[in-house]
Amino acid sequence: MDTVKDILALLFFPAGLAVIFGGLAYEWIDRKLVAQLQNRIGPRWFQPAADIVKLLAKEEVLPEGVDQWLFHSLPIIALAGVLTAGLYVPLFGLAPAHSFAGDLIVTIYLLSMLTLCTGLAGANTNDHFSLIGATRTLTQLFSYEAPFLLTLLGPAIVAGSWQISEINAYAGSHWMILTQPIGFIVSMIGLMGKLELPPFDAPEAETEIVAGAMTEYSGRGWALFRLGKNVELLIGLTLIAAFYLGGLDNPLTFLLKTLVLLLTVAGLQALFARLRIDQTVGLWWRVGALLVLVQLLVTIVLKGVLT
Amino acid sequence: MENEKREKFIVPIGPQHPALKEPGHFEFTVDGETVTGATVRLGYVHRGIEKATEDRNWTQNLYLLERICGICSHSHAMAYSLGVEKLAGVAVPPRAQAIRQVTAELERIHSHLLWLGVAAHEAGFDTLFMFSWRDRETIMDILEELTGNRVNYSVNVLGGVKIDIDTERADSIRKGMDFLEERTTHYLKVVTSDETFLRRTRGVGFTTTEQAETLGLVGPTARAANVARDVRVDVPYITYADFPITITLDTRGDLEARFVVRIKELFECYRVIRLILDKLPAGELTTRMPRKIKEGETVSRIEAPRGELFYFIKSGGGEKPERVKVRTPSINNFALVTGTAVGHQLADMPMILAGMDPCFSCNDR
Amino acid sequence: MKLRFASMFGDMFRSLFKKPVTEMYPFKKTSAPPRLRGELMYNPEKCTGCQLCVKDCPSNAIELITVDKANKHFVMRYHLDRCTFCAQCVENCRFECLGMSNEQWELAALNKESFTVHYGREEDLQKLLGKPLP
Ligand code: SF4
Ligand code: SF4
Repeated sequence: MDTVKDILALLFFPAGLAVIFGGLAYEWIDRKLVAQLQNRIGPRWFQPAADIVKLLAKEEVLPEGVDQWLFHSLPIIALAGVLTAGLYVPLFGLAPAHSFAGDLIVTIYLLSMLTLCTGLAGANTNDHFSLIGATRTLTQLFSYEAPFLLTLLGPAIVAGSWQISEINAYAGSHWMILTQPIGFIVSMIGLMGKLELPPFDAPEAETEIVAGAMTEYSGRGWALFRLGKNVELLIGLTLIAAFYLGGLDNPLTFLLKTLVLLLTVAGLQALFARLRIDQTVGLWWRVGALLVLVQLLVTIVLKGVLT
Repeated sequence: MENEKREKFIVPIGPQHPALKEPGHFEFTVDGETVTGATVRLGYVHRGIEKATEDRNWTQNLYLLERICGICSHSHAMAYSLGVEKLAGVAVPPRAQAIRQVTAELERIHSHLLWLGVAAHEAGFDTLFMFSWRDRETIMDILEELTGNRVNYSVNVLGGVKIDIDTERADSIRKGMDFLEERTTHYLKVVTSDETFLRRTRGVGFTTTEQAETLGLVGPTARAANVARDVRVDVPYITYADFPITITLDTRGDLEARFVVRIKELFECYRVIRLILDKLPAGELTTRMPRKIKEGETVSRIEAPRGELFYFIKSGGGEKPERVKVRTPSINNFALVTGTAVGHQLADMPMILAGMDPCFSCNDR
Repeated sequence: MKLRFASMFGDMFRSLFKKPVTEMYPFKKTSAPPRLRGELMYNPEKCTGCQLCVKDCPSNAIELITVDKANKHFVMRYHLDRCTFCAQCVENCRFECLGMSNEQWELAALNKESFTVHYGREEDLQKLLGKPLP
């Protein structure tokens, strides 16, 4: 019986299909919000899903000189990574499908898989746009990854656990956005860096390098990467809401909190001009990482003093 | 061989590339993210328009030449009409001239606002792009209402203009100018003070005044490097002597200066349009034009939104021109890209390119 | 000059509560300004057959077919797909037979034939189109 339940959880709910549709819905809301902020109308509700369906039905062009095996498997690995991560987070405000001590670390690494795969996919092709895109993707990965990790460690340290469900439960009575505001801001920006949303979209800056690492992808592969990104958006928002915004314990709070976060993300997307990759790296290491480190130290010291 | 390939990592931009809405080909040699060389190749949209003029009569050419460019169409038609009228020795009535000037300035507003949006988009600042284009719609509506079309206005005929500006239309233009003036003030503030945007523009694509002179830059790009070069001021044509323009200069010579110069020119446009509307000379709209133009040759120069537009027209005394040669501002300004690219980041290239406001259609004809 | 972040914030915030400016064409149609240059319209009653309009058309979009020269009966064959909507013909006609519609401007069609339009008196059209065209 348990196995059946596991399979159901993996394929349909809360991970699997449910996350995919959730991700598509969130992509639509994000695009719609950005459009509204720019005083235009934005896509209709089925647009992201229609895009995916269209892409899945299309021919996948295999460029010359790529490692075929890698080219086909990378999108699958990327999507599988983020979908697996969906098992460990309190999606839709429900208890995670799976939970064990230390699942936070696993989730963080699973979330990085997408970026890593994107980078590899770009490096796999001979295309100059892809190569530059891949370099930029990986550069950006190295710059935001550490601060982002640290921002998730902050709540973990306070809660005294590495288990997402426990931190979530702890956060239910502690709004950590108040005690660790820097962590919250940096984690939001980190998520945007992870998803390569503007203004951190240098790795796929269309006016410079077309679609960056994804330039050579079409059809199925590209659809899977896009799905991966949508799911990651949903999971990232869930994580931040669970950790910083007082935890998630039912679907209503989930919706409310993640949508508020999404509005913030959309606002930030629309507000800034794209940062050059050197500016992004500078921002993260000179400002982001330092601030989070300071806050982490303060948290640890305070915790030590208080207990 | 392998080694050479390694050394030369070339990033092509164009002829099909999201950064360019028209076909042109740029090759940037990069070392990591730093550009070490740049070349440009043009001519993808050559349509043989200059040659085609020789098969059409003087009037037909007006519309052919108007279609060289979709943004500065009035400039082309006007430069051509001015040349032909000069050849024929016809004096255009002052009211027609003033209406030509109004249209030219309206077109400049539309072109500069369009450019502002495009340049913002190249910088990844899509919000500015969307808003500036939303406001540009005001000017498009004005032009549509005034001339009957949004793009090829077809205002000129040889010997005058087709359209008149009545009080009702003058009022709607004034209203549009008021709205745009307020918005432009806001945009000026945005491009000179937004931190993330300034990081992409300040000090980028810098030229000194001497360099700008050597490269032969024209238009706002030159004026941003403190080169006082504006045909409207240097040799006023049509009614630019009666309704003069003050030249807009900036000493800094970088991308930010190019933004500032173009936006400040907008204020000049608003002012001059209002002035003309208040003192629109009365009189006829057209004069008679002979079908055959007497033998001779002439040049006519005007200030298009992108800089000096130059027409050479030669008549053999017949119904058709013997030769029409067009030199557009973009060809001068392309030197800016190849001249200043080296040492910049790859990410700056679209910005530098957009900064000169290239028009490939004009350029290739 | 003070440096600021987020200088477009005001605009964005306001548009959050505003209706998008996107025009919903073709679901909602707006009327075109009176001067809009749409399809060419020809009034055969006053035409003298001077051919001035045909001469200066930059794209050879109009032909004037003489049906009855003495009684000034003409049919105009107008090639919509060639017309550049420049209004030079309207400008040239001294008898105000020509005009450009500001209502007929959605001119797309699925077949090529519908781009050739004939204007003229009823009986002339009958006569001309009944028998093979010259
Ligand atoms: S509008 Fe211009 S192109 Fe069309 S028929 Fe008249 S003259 Fe010819
Ligand atoms: S110019 Fe006018 S009168 Fe002359 S042929 Fe054309 S429509 Fe008829």
